[in-house]
Amino acid sequence: MTLSKEKAGALCFLVLAIAYGMEARHIPLFPGDELEPFTARTMPIALSWLTGIVSFLLLVLPQREETDDIFSVFRGLNWGKTFVLIALMVFYGLTLSPLGFLLSTALFLIGGIYALGERRWSVILLSSVPATVGFWFILDKLLGIYLAPGEIFTMLGAN
Amino acid sequence: MLDGILQGLSTAASPVNLLMVFVGCFAGTFIGMLPGLGPISAIALMIPITYGFDPATGMILMAGVYYGAIFGGSTSAILINAPGVAGTVATAFDGYPLAKQGHAGKALAIAAYSSFSGGTIAAIFLLFAAPALASVSLSFQSADYFALMVLGLTAVSAFAGKGKFLVAVLMTLFGLMLSTIGTDQTAGLQRFTFGSLDLIDGISFLLLAMATFALSEALMVVLKPEKVSQEAEDATKGKLGSMKVSREEVKDLAPVVGRSSVLGFFIGVLPGAGATIASFLAYGMERSFASAKEKLKFGKGSLRGLAAPETANNAACSGSFVPLLTLGIPGSGTTAVMLGALISYGVQPGPRLFVEQPAVFWSVIISMYIGNIILLVLNLPLIPYIARLLALPKKILTPLILFFSLIGVYLVSFNTFDIHIMVIVAILAIIFRLINFPLAPMLLGFILGGMMEDNLRRALAISDGELSFLWERPITASILAITVIVLLAPLIQNIIDVRRRRALKVNDGEG
Repeated sequence: MTLSKEKAGALCFLVLAIAYGMEARHIPLFPGDELEPFTARTMPIALSWLTGIVSFLLLVLPQREETDDIFSVFRGLNWGKTFVLIALMVFYGLTLSPLGFLLSTALFLIGGIYALGERRWSVILLSSVPATVGFWFILDKLLGIYLAPGEIFTMLGAN
Repeated sequence: MLDGILQGLSTAASPVNLLMVFVGCFAGTFIGMLPGLGPISAIALMIPITYGFDPATGMILMAGVYYGAIFGGSTSAILINAPGVAGTVATAFDGYPLAKQGHAGKALAIAAYSSFSGGTIAAIFLLFAAPALASVSLSFQSADYFALMVLGLTAVSAFAGKGKFLVAVLMTLFGLMLSTIGTDQTAGLQRFTFGSLDLIDGISFLLLAMATFALSEALMVVLKPEKVSQEAEDATKGKLGSMKVSREEVKDLAPVVGRSSVLGFFIGVLPGAGATIASFLAYGMERSFASAKEKLKFGKGSLRGLAAPETANNAACSGSFVPLLTLGIPGSGTTAVMLGALISYGVQPGPRLFVEQPAVFWSVIISMYIGNIILLVLNLPLIPYIARLLALPKKILTPLILFFSLIGVYLVSFNTFDIHIMVIVAILAIIFRLINFPLAPMLLGFILGGMMEDNLRRALAISDGELSFLWERPITASILAITVIVLLAPLIQNIIDVRRRRALKVNDGEG
């Protein structure tokens, strides 16, 4: 049995609607809120019902035209490079505070350009380091936006 | 009104703001030209830069970027058949064949002149329509606003395309759900924060816009790389041919531009419709108006087929500012991002904007016109050089776009948690793109969610918890009636289509 991408999406939204609706019932209320026409829960509960109904309709109604099987849309794509870039973004988020703007940004750009296939180190370094320093200069020196040096440098300085 | 126009003119014509229009048009053209990056990304990328500006300057920059991005999208549609923006897909139908025949320069010139004319005519309409609508909407109450937002969100879904209505509704609801994360503004209670301090303020609209558009669009370029054609290489080397347009051609195209401007503007005003629908409708309208001989040229390099969508998409861009500036309700993903930006500057768009901050209101309208002039006078001659930027290797450009998107959001909150949320949202956005679930309705739902909840809460409080507020006021009832019509239209269309198909099958069987 195959599942079209539209139906698969609808199924995910149905699950989301149920989970969201269950969580909505745990939103705290003030004493006496039960008598109010509108509380912090009203909108989320209404949204969970609406999403549930619409996703159910999408799931059971016949489709206008045949769409691709859900698994086929994920095949034949350049997942390797994309995952490396995603990992680099996570890495950037993790290193921005400890290493500081300059070092983490330069590493991110060097990694990104390398991951996308550039192997000439002169090109990699010339396109990443000046961009990083230039952007830092604009932010820190021209616009006066303070970019803290990395925690690691602060620690080294303290010792 | 004249005072307002003069005030807007003096604000828009100040040297700083003129520089902003120029920078905006230039940056927008470049970003819009990059296949995969549209005006939403272009504007989102500008927001962090504009935080320190005053609202009028920020909006002027973004309006310039908007126009520039649409123009840039047309350029890449004509030169390499890769429209950077959905609104310029119809431009590629005839623009690209013209470029292949060696008339890239002429096609670009016609696109620029048509955009200029469409934008100019629409800016004049805007000059009269916006204040008129703003004065009417001063009498609007919470119930009317709630109804208007429901109409806006429904219309976005209804215009999502054949067979995509329910999918678009789902995405709108998903956006509304995301808007409920964080602290409930009236009650002060936390919702869906799961005990995380980072989620107390909810998800910022900038984060969502950047992650769903700029980040995911840049990642999609890596995920689904497109082959570069010989024409693209020629274009990037600046081989465009003559840019001259003859007097006969101008005469032939003038009525096309006139018709398409009017159509584009009114389509743009409708919530949810926007530049894409306007350009396709204008293209279709011109084809049906054309003589049998001219009709054959459509799709093979017709000048009319190029001028019509180009005029209409620019006119629709101006039109889409009418609901944004007068009602505070965005009609498209792009204007939704602008609404978010305005709110973050501390400006509340809506009928009061016209009264309380006429400088912002009028300067945005005036700057649109200035933007059109700049696109024509400066960008057109620069196109051969800007086109060379297309030759910048993707392997360098993509990490830079990712960096700008991430740092743009980080610089607002200085919280690295936002970067991780962006990554999660970008992955979700990629999945939505792959399964063809539209992202603009989600963004619109997210931005309108908070306002919709506030207005519903207020309307219910005023009516003592009774739902009668939905039909008591004629304005509310009329807006809701239109909503029902918009909601039922795709359904009726569906039934008609099914019957037609059945009838065809029966006929085939008999035949």
